[in-house]
Amino acid sequence: MNALLSEAQRDALQELMNISMGQAANALARLIETRITLSIPRIVAATPSEFAALLSQHEENWFTRQSFMGKVNGEALTQLTKEGCEALAVAMDYDVPLSDASRKELVLELANILAGACLTGFSEQLDLATKLSMPTLYVPTVNSGEQVVEYFRWTSTLLLEVEFSVDASLFDSKVIICLEQRSVQTLLASINELLE
Amino acid sequence: MISPAVFTHVVKKLPLGICILDTDFTIRYFNDFFISRLTLNAPAIGSNILDLFPEQARFLKKKLTSAVVLNNSSFSYWEHRPHIFQFNSSRPITGEETLMYQNLEIVPLDIEDDQVKTLCLILQDVTEQASYLQSQKQLAAQLETQYHEQAALLKQLKTTQAQLLHADKMASIGQLAAGMAHEINNPLGFINSNLQSLNDYLNTLVKALTFSEKLIQKTEDSALHRLQQDYFSRAKITFITEDAPELLHESLDGIRRVSRIIQNLKIFSHVDDTHWQLCDLRDIIDSTLTMLSNDLRHNVTLHIEYADDLPLLQCQPIQLNQVLLHILNNAVQAISQKGDIWIQVTVQAEQLHVTIRDNGCGIAPAVLPKVFEPFFTTKAVGQGSGLGLSMAYNVIKQHQGHISLSSEQGQGTTITLDLPLQPKLPVADVDRLTHER
Repeated sequence: MNALLSEAQRDALQELMNISMGQAANALARLIETRITLSIPRIVAATPSEFAALLSQHEENWFTRQSFMGKVNGEALTQLTKEGCEALAVAMDYDVPLSDASRKELVLELANILAGACLTGFSEQLDLATKLSMPTLYVPTVNSGEQVVEYFRWTSTLLLEVEFSVDASLFDSKVIICLEQRSVQTLLASINELLE
Repeated sequence: MISPAVFTHVVKKLPLGICILDTDFTIRYFNDFFISRLTLNAPAIGSNILDLFPEQARFLKKKLTSAVVLNNSSFSYWEHRPHIFQFNSSRPITGEETLMYQNLEIVPLDIEDDQVKTLCLILQDVTEQASYLQSQKQLAAQLETQYHEQAALLKQLKTTQAQLLHADKMASIGQLAAGMAHEINNPLGFINSNLQSLNDYLNTLVKALTFSEKLIQKTEDSALHRLQQDYFSRAKITFITEDAPELLHESLDGIRRVSRIIQNLKIFSHVDDTHWQLCDLRDIIDSTLTMLSNDLRHNVTLHIEYADDLPLLQCQPIQLNQVLLHILNNAVQAISQKGDIWIQVTVQAEQLHVTIRDNGCGIAPAVLPKVFEPFFTTKAVGQGSGLGLSMAYNVIKQHQGHISLSSEQGQGTTITLDLPLQPKLPVADVDRLTHER
């Protein structure tokens, strides 16, 4: 299924992600002084329909998106459970109860921290400097179905998926780093260098 | 090769606020964007940014710490935090806004061994976009409100149209009833008087027969007597003389009933009549009950209780008829199987106090506040006009009275009317009344 990657490439990338995500989780844990659990990163090549399916649960979740540009380009999507965000408000030094504006601010800040940590770790390990732009809230309008293929301008993308959860709270989130098609080649070249 | 001085100059002149900070948040550099907007007595370079902007210290500290600890840019967006730095609007003359709208980005600048050494604060003036977006949002909200208002209006129009059609139908039926009442009334009149005459004639005839029978007996002619007996027995004269008055009596009673129905039909087809007069409320209630007698007969037991010596009421009898008809009709419709309706009239402090209670299905609490609203009905479209109780409310108001309703779902509904015996009439009506007297 991972036609874009060979087995060896995937293993190497997986190892790199494990290290960098661990660092990201540590940094975040230090900031909010809470223990954070993270999943084993999932690396998968996705078609537009598979990608759209990831965005289908926008009733229970917030979605944010932010682009990154540099040696590799793409977008980082962050999915955060609506209930869980509220639980972190106090830890993030927000006044509760949250106003509508401060709730969005909190969501974007959390998303930026998680996506930033993931991307920094990943790009430093592979020496692929890239810069993350300002996050915005994203309300996906495409559902799975036939129009999905026409909606997106690409046919295949590489997704790096990591899940974060905070112990003893409902907070649950997922960062998906989506690489542009050309950047996948850049990434592969970097991995190949490491493998040689 | 461009010299570093040129870059310094460019940064100085950038249309963005650039501020470079140590990790303890001491200001190392401000570009012109900041300097020209700050009104400071002491030089800013070398001071702590948190001291310089104490109002935003908590927020800035959080964002700056996050950038240092995580080695990751942090952002702030105008929509959530419009004015981090209290700078005046960039449009002091033409703009409606007084303060500058800002987007902020804090970027880790120098990093040594994964440790952030300096931070760069980039401030963007987005007053123009913010203003535009806000006015767009206002417009969208306005449009949405208007859309909902129009949708509600359209719905109301449709309901009103249906109700008007219903009212129109009712008016046609009223007209038809009035016409019929008029047409039936004429033949009814002569049938009635003919029956009366026939009754008189019959009495005379019976008397004549008795007389002739006695005459024959007096002649002591046994043959004649037998002939008469034989004839009477064959023609069943005895039976006829007994039965005929009964038949006529029944017919006259029938005619009286038909007349009363026609009379009521005439009353109810003149619903516009607002004539004020002194009436006995019992008569008004009785005539309403006659109208409903068909509906009442089958499943409803009536309990009527009038106080002794009820005084006369100054009122518009036809209008009160209508009010009672609507109330009683609702009560009847609320009773699906078998039930009771209690009507009680008492006198309390120069007022007639009328209570009409049923033990029908009652009214749902959610619906209760709306029952007096015009065009509100829970009946299917075309079944009820939704005007009954609202009309009742208006009529009782015209009588300077009070109508109230209490109901418990599944238990029944009680309507009470308080009617002053002598309401103050509108001037026009007083004129008419004195004129008529």
